[in-house]
Amino acid sequence: MALPNQQTVDYPSFKLVIVGDGGTGKTTFVKRHLTGEFEKKYEPTIGVEVHPLDFFTNCGKIRFYCWDTAGQEKFGGLRDGYYIHGQCAIIMFDVTARLTYKNVPTWHRDLCRVCENIPIVLCGNKVDVKNRQVKAKQVTFHRKKNLQYYEISAKSNYNFEKPFLYLARKLAGDPNLHFVESPALAPPEVHIDLAAQQQHEADIAAAAAQPLPDDDDDAFD
Amino acid sequence: MENDETVNVVEQLELVAKAFVDHYYHLFDNNRTSLSSLYGTTSMLTFEGQKIHGAEEIARKLIELPFDHCKHFVSTVDSQPSSVPGGILVFVSGCLQLPGEEHFLKFSQMFQLVPTSQGSFYVQNDIFRLNYG
Repeated sequence: MALPNQQTVDYPSFKLVIVGDGGTGKTTFVKRHLTGEFEKKYEPTIGVEVHPLDFFTNCGKIRFYCWDTAGQEKFGGLRDGYYIHGQCAIIMFDVTARLTYKNVPTWHRDLCRVCENIPIVLCGNKVDVKNRQVKAKQVTFHRKKNLQYYEISAKSNYNFEKPFLYLARKLAGDPNLHFVESPALAPPEVHIDLAAQQQHEADIAAAAAQPLPDDDDDAFD
Repeated sequence: MENDETVNVVEQLELVAKAFVDHYYHLFDNNRTSLSSLYGTTSMLTFEGQKIHGAEEIARKLIELPFDHCKHFVSTVDSQPSSVPGGILVFVSGCLQLPGEEHFLKFSQMFQLVPTSQGSFYVQNDIFRLNYG
């Protein structure tokens, strides 16, 4: 959903809400997409900055109106006005800060209270940082709630398109939809160790084959 | 008609309220740990809907907020005598800026100041909200 003062478009567009603890990199992530950054609009009464992110698929263009907070989540939860009419979502945590993963169930609950049955991607950000506190195999929340999980590094653009591709496929109802052209992204500020990250991706695949831990509180230590 | 004494009391009250507000946000923005000295054991804080009792718990909540130095900009301060003898109700509106955030957040906050036996005041009630839809 665009803001009242924002250009609408004649191709499919969707409101995407991004939630997660303060400091997990939500704003850094959406700012990577350059045309979205040029066309962003701020709405002070809601305290939200909306970035229109366009992607090019084999079925034509698709736009995500990405809603990003102005930092209100650092004071507590967000108001319903932020979530309302959300059509898809990204829940972000920081793999270098354990507490941000522990808070994922709360963000998921708040989101689902307003937005029932929307496609959701869980993103573990900052995988470029050497000292991870949340290992790939410890991330199990998405399996309990049927979310997609991606490891990302906003600063290096690693996996930037993955969450959007997953959401586009779900929203279009077409599992074969694919991107035919990359959007212009800000140049990488850091580079990730691809060999180490391939090991993490292998850990994720191996963990997906394991039975879920039967703790109900979603805590881990 | 207000007599001179009433006018004087109202002026005093507004001076105290203004001085308190300046002091409170100066501490909040520069040294949050020292805010605990403004509260007492019976104090109550409602922070974005979360209810917290007692100076110790209130201090913990404020110290643990996930940002360092923020900046408050006060737009208005209104005050009234409360029904507690010598007590003052203070209502503040303004905006604040968090480190690393481009946009200001609007807030309002209400305090009840209650006099202490030492001739000072402590915060008995504190209600804080960000103002947005």
